[in-house]
Amino acid sequence: MLSRVADSLYWMSRYIERAEHTARLIAVKLDSMVEQTPEDASASWARVIAALTGEKVVPLSHMDAFAITRALAFDRENENSLITSLALARDNARQVREALSNEVWENLNRLYLRMAPVTMDSIWVHTPARLFREALEEMHALEGVTYSTLSHGEGWYFLELGRHIERVQQLGRLLDIHFAAAESENGPKYFDWLVLLKFCTAFEPYTKRYTASIRPQKIAEFLLFDTEFPHSICFSVDRMTDALARVAPGAPPARRAAVERLAGRLKAAVDFGQVDELMSGGVAAFIADITKQCEQIHKALYSAYITYGAETVL
Amino acid sequence: MQHEVFANTEDFGGPDIVAGPGRICRPGMDPPYANYSLGKPYDEMFTRDGKPRLSYAALDSRLSTLQLDELNRRQQACEQSFLHQGITFTVYSDNRATERIIPTDLLPRIVTAREWDRIERGLTQRIHALNLFLRDIYNDGRVLKDGVLPRSMIYGSKHYRREMRGLPVPHGAYVNICGSDLIRTETGEFVVLEDNLRVPSGVSYMLANRDVARRAFPAVFRSMGVRPIEHYPLELLATLRSLTPFHEDVSIAVLTPGVYNSAYFEHAFLARQMGVELVEGRDLLVNDNVVYTRTTSGLKRIDVIYRRIDDDFVDPLIFRDDSALGVPGLFNAYRAGNVMIANALGTGVADDKAVYAYVPRLIRYYLAEEPILENVETYLCREPKSLAHVLANLDKLVVKAVGESGGYGMLVGPHASQKEREDFAEKVKSDPENYIAQPTIQLSTAPTFVGNGIEARHVDLRPFILHGAETTLVPGALTRVALKRGSLVVNSSQGGGSKDTWVLSQ
Repeated sequence: MLSRVADSLYWMSRYIERAEHTARLIAVKLDSMVEQTPEDASASWARVIAALTGEKVVPLSHMDAFAITRALAFDRENENSLITSLALARDNARQVREALSNEVWENLNRLYLRMAPVTMDSIWVHTPARLFREALEEMHALEGVTYSTLSHGEGWYFLELGRHIERVQQLGRLLDIHFAAAESENGPKYFDWLVLLKFCTAFEPYTKRYTASIRPQKIAEFLLFDTEFPHSICFSVDRMTDALARVAPGAPPARRAAVERLAGRLKAAVDFGQVDELMSGGVAAFIADITKQCEQIHKALYSAYITYGAETVL
Repeated sequence: MQHEVFANTEDFGGPDIVAGPGRICRPGMDPPYANYSLGKPYDEMFTRDGKPRLSYAALDSRLSTLQLDELNRRQQACEQSFLHQGITFTVYSDNRATERIIPTDLLPRIVTAREWDRIERGLTQRIHALNLFLRDIYNDGRVLKDGVLPRSMIYGSKHYRREMRGLPVPHGAYVNICGSDLIRTETGEFVVLEDNLRVPSGVSYMLANRDVARRAFPAVFRSMGVRPIEHYPLELLATLRSLTPFHEDVSIAVLTPGVYNSAYFEHAFLARQMGVELVEGRDLLVNDNVVYTRTTSGLKRIDVIYRRIDDDFVDPLIFRDDSALGVPGLFNAYRAGNVMIANALGTGVADDKAVYAYVPRLIRYYLAEEPILENVETYLCREPKSLAHVLANLDKLVVKAVGESGGYGMLVGPHASQKEREDFAEKVKSDPENYIAQPTIQLSTAPTFVGNGIEARHVDLRPFILHGAETTLVPGALTRVALKRGSLVVNSSQGGGSKDTWVLSQ
């Protein structure tokens, strides 16, 4: 596979994952805010903004949901907004039309064309969350179409890599923010932990595993270490290491080794992690370590297969 | 008038099915043709007395029974489908990029088997002569020694590539992919307006339009014996393969300038349909005169490049050094015979306006045959007799500078003022070699759906000719249509659209 094509597939997938995460957070937040006091809702919005933008946010007494939604969803100047992520996903897809099935391209293109003209005024008068739920449905359809119409070869594994590296980073930040706030005065309450599970589509899978008793430690255990739930860090790391073993099958062993060593280390860190060691402040350090390892894998992936100097292989 | 009776009407759907003769609808009188004007130009659908031609009878019968609402719905469905497929080009205004689809018209343009036979033979003959001509001027220059063409016309051309001299080209095929523009004269004869021998585009629209028209008129399509065109990518692949001796185990790539090029959709489309790599200049590198792509597993050798970038940009070491689209060293790899490039470099010398005028003579010179397809009548001002004629008839002619394109350096006699004509006459007299003249060209008209009815619009015809070990024409073409009433400009940048072309098997 052309290195440039691998690069575009990887980023297309990262941006789709980012868009999906953004849409889900907004949809869940818009739905849940009506049940919260203004103070709690503001604190919760501040965490959502921080999770999606990576910036520290001090909650104001009254956060303007309209303005926040506009910025997070439709602001093209905002490099993390939903519409920016969709536009970038589509730009990358367009660069590799020949590596995608028609169905994948058309689903993504339709989704973008549908979201591009949407204005806040048009969604705010009715049920604002509905648009985001519909976008999520379309992204799930896109994921299914990708799964069932694209050969599960090298290109598909680059998509997997992009999806799961992005997922680990987004999930990591979201957990980090919630567990860091747990210690503080206006920290997450019962309802906020429930919303956190919903941010990760984890509410029902969690209750099946731990019953409806919502406890931060169990949430951490589930979202960090569950091996079966697709939005857990452990699950994503599993998929990443699997995909890393399957891309660039013809690359020389020396170049592969650098990437696989890092992947093995990350997998060990997650496989042998224990939640009881992590409570009382340990979650943040653990997540910081996992995130850093993902960044190293990203860099190693690029220098081994995508941006390597031609002189090294001639 | 004979109308088709459709044995099978299930595809039509809706209440407007009429099996058997529809109403008789006369152009310029009855809807949907109420505003259909028949004038001096040849009309593809109607004879001069307003009767549909036999080849259009089935379509006419269908149109006379189809509700306009239904046509509008199908037109919108088709535009939606183009948008979703990404068959768009980007317009920049007010710092905003808007994507527009290339307008497409639902109604097919129909070419009879007999007409196609002549087009096919004519274009095959023409591409043979043009390739012989290119081989000649890049080798012995016999045609120049024999005085058929003036030397200065070739050696002075900015498209003549000295680097190509003496370089062997497989099968002597310099032009592997050609798109020639044909128009119909008032008498209904097809003549050649222009040869595109460099990087002709539009073939993906030919295929996309077929999808649309077949879906819009399934039963008419089926009843008429329309010849298939879907094998074009296969034929293109075979043509490209034939350029190397390794045929089967050959690695082919389509070289595109990238996603911002207006024809990018086509480049990606062809790569996908052929199952070959789509590459940009930055994906390729040359080492020891061998071309490689950079893949995740390492470097992979490329044997044939179907390039969709102009000569000037192919290799910054040889041609324009400011080109970021090409590949440094590509030309030397080509010269060493390690990679084949289609079309060969330097083909542009044979499609400029002055050489065009000589093509009929080139056919006689190389093939000792009479041209099957004529040119549009062209006067070369370098020939004293023609110059006198041109100067005496400036008010009736279009005069063009040979080195220019896109409407620059051009006088449209009938629309110019006396003063403009006099000024232009001076220019022509001072540098006659630089000018040619043609009568004002009438394009034929074809039925086109305009929202509230069906009207006549001007069209041309661009068939695509493939030439490698063999010469192949897929029986179809891009019909470009000037969507503005009365306009003769079919270019998509200026309000032109396109429609499907049905070549009948008998």
